[in-house]
Amino acid sequence: MGEHIEFLGKDIYFWNFIVLMFFTLFEVGAVFYEVVPGTNIEITKTAVWAILIVVGIIKGFGIAAFFMHLKDDPRIYTRTALFPVLFVLLMLWGIGLSNPAGVTDLPSWCTPNWDYATSR
Amino acid sequence: MSGSGSHVDNGIWMRAVMMGGMILTLGIVLFGILGVALAEGKHDTWKQLEDDYYHEKGVLAAQDNISAEEAAHLDHLHHEEIDAHLSYLTYRVAGVTILLMTITYAAFIGLGGFLNASKPQADHGDGHDDHEHHGSSSPIVFAFGLMVFLIGFPDFVVACKAMLNSEVTPDFSMLAVSMVGLFTIVIAVSNWWFEDLPFVGHGEQIATSYPFEGEHIRKAGLWVFIMSEIMVFATFFSSYLRMRTEWCTDWAIRDGVEACKDVPEGTVVTASDLLRYDVSTLMPGAINTFALIISSYTIVLALKIAKDTNWKPSTGIMGKINPTRQAAVRNYLIATLALGSLFIVLKLVEWSHLVAEGFDIGTVQGSIFYIATGAHGLHVFIGLLVMLYLVFKADTVGFDEDNAQGIEYFGLYWHFVDLAWVVIFPAFYLY
Repeated sequence: MGEHIEFLGKDIYFWNFIVLMFFTLFEVGAVFYEVVPGTNIEITKTAVWAILIVVGIIKGFGIAAFFMHLKDDPRIYTRTALFPVLFVLLMLWGIGLSNPAGVTDLPSWCTPNWDYATSR
Repeated sequence: MSGSGSHVDNGIWMRAVMMGGMILTLGIVLFGILGVALAEGKHDTWKQLEDDYYHEKGVLAAQDNISAEEAAHLDHLHHEEIDAHLSYLTYRVAGVTILLMTITYAAFIGLGGFLNASKPQADHGDGHDDHEHHGSSSPIVFAFGLMVFLIGFPDFVVACKAMLNSEVTPDFSMLAVSMVGLFTIVIAVSNWWFEDLPFVGHGEQIATSYPFEGEHIRKAGLWVFIMSEIMVFATFFSSYLRMRTEWCTDWAIRDGVEACKDVPEGTVVTASDLLRYDVSTLMPGAINTFALIISSYTIVLALKIAKDTNWKPSTGIMGKINPTRQAAVRNYLIATLALGSLFIVLKLVEWSHLVAEGFDIGTVQGSIFYIATGAHGLHVFIGLLVMLYLVFKADTVGFDEDNAQGIEYFGLYWHFVDLAWVVIFPAFYLY
């Protein structure tokens, strides 16, 4: 259990909680502000996408690894949790193929040979 | 439920009935303050501002020329009227939601407690000796009750509408089916509680075959359940993503997406278009995110204290609030319950605002938003009903290093609900 690992007198759960709170503030701020506060640097849609995905992965890892104890539990639980990810990836692939932009905009390595669709 | 049990007097279940009564009283008081007293004041203000707006609109409509200042003033009055309406909705919906939630809480824990208190003392509801390891029929009965409830669910919804609208006529025969299902669920859950309450942690059933060999069966079962839940939320998320990448939202248009170059702005409106640009509209979703994260931490604290044999009360105010280990565990569970309840209240307040602004379930954007966030809210609410029992057990039998699995395994579900929100919140509220 993570309570045996301490840093600055506080256990891992406390620090995980702080990290989760910080990154939640960060993702809300990234979307709410159209430019980086104090600068003229625009926060583009792509940047927001990247921030949301990265922050989501960090937060997801924090909850699963420490609050759900996957980090210390036997690996079978991690494998159980990750099993549906295969299907999620398949669904995402399906999304790419069934989206109109999938024909022309997706890189060729993740599409079937659909050249005829653009050449006809 | 597996494991051996300690002797627990059935009379202890009357405390669950008292707990239900206390929760209901608190709900009625909060409804009176928020949903009636404060909401009525807000309603009067809204009506006054609405009258002012329509009066001014009528006056300007009678004029031949309207100056820019007059148009701006009318616009200002309109915004004031909308803000007052949303403010009224906030208090009214919060009050009504709290009342309905506390009625459900009280019925669930109170009825379950009453049924268990009424049982003969010698019977543990399963025909087994306290010290014999055994399975339980309660989950099967629960699943059957759920099936019956869902068969009559459409008419249950119509009956709920009929209570609010005299023009709607409910089908009472199918309503009876759903009520039988609901009652079966209550009986199954109360019996499940009855079997679990004496459990002191000795004799947890262990899996004997691959791949969970040597692991607690309950924990393995919960992880398999979570695995199936990941699939459920993945279908919501992927169907949303499939549609979202195709929608010509204002954001996509401004970003110069080729497929959207001929589409005028405002054609497709998502929930995030209405929520993310203003502090007041983003606030409920943001607070809910923090509430879930904090509640994940409070349930971890409850588990940690339950397992800590060397726990000592701290000095200062926290020592007074949590004078004993049992009180500390109970209070952290109550904090989790309160934060989860706050989540549901804010969720419905936010929905009421969106509906008032015209974003209802009738559109594709509304449909996927309400179904996905509603399914998540339902998971939170079911978790809160289970947490009622955990609070009751923490207050009566208590949790310690031997029987803390109850908190740990429920905590896994609760953290999963938090994890699902980590995906839903940015996808539906921010993007």
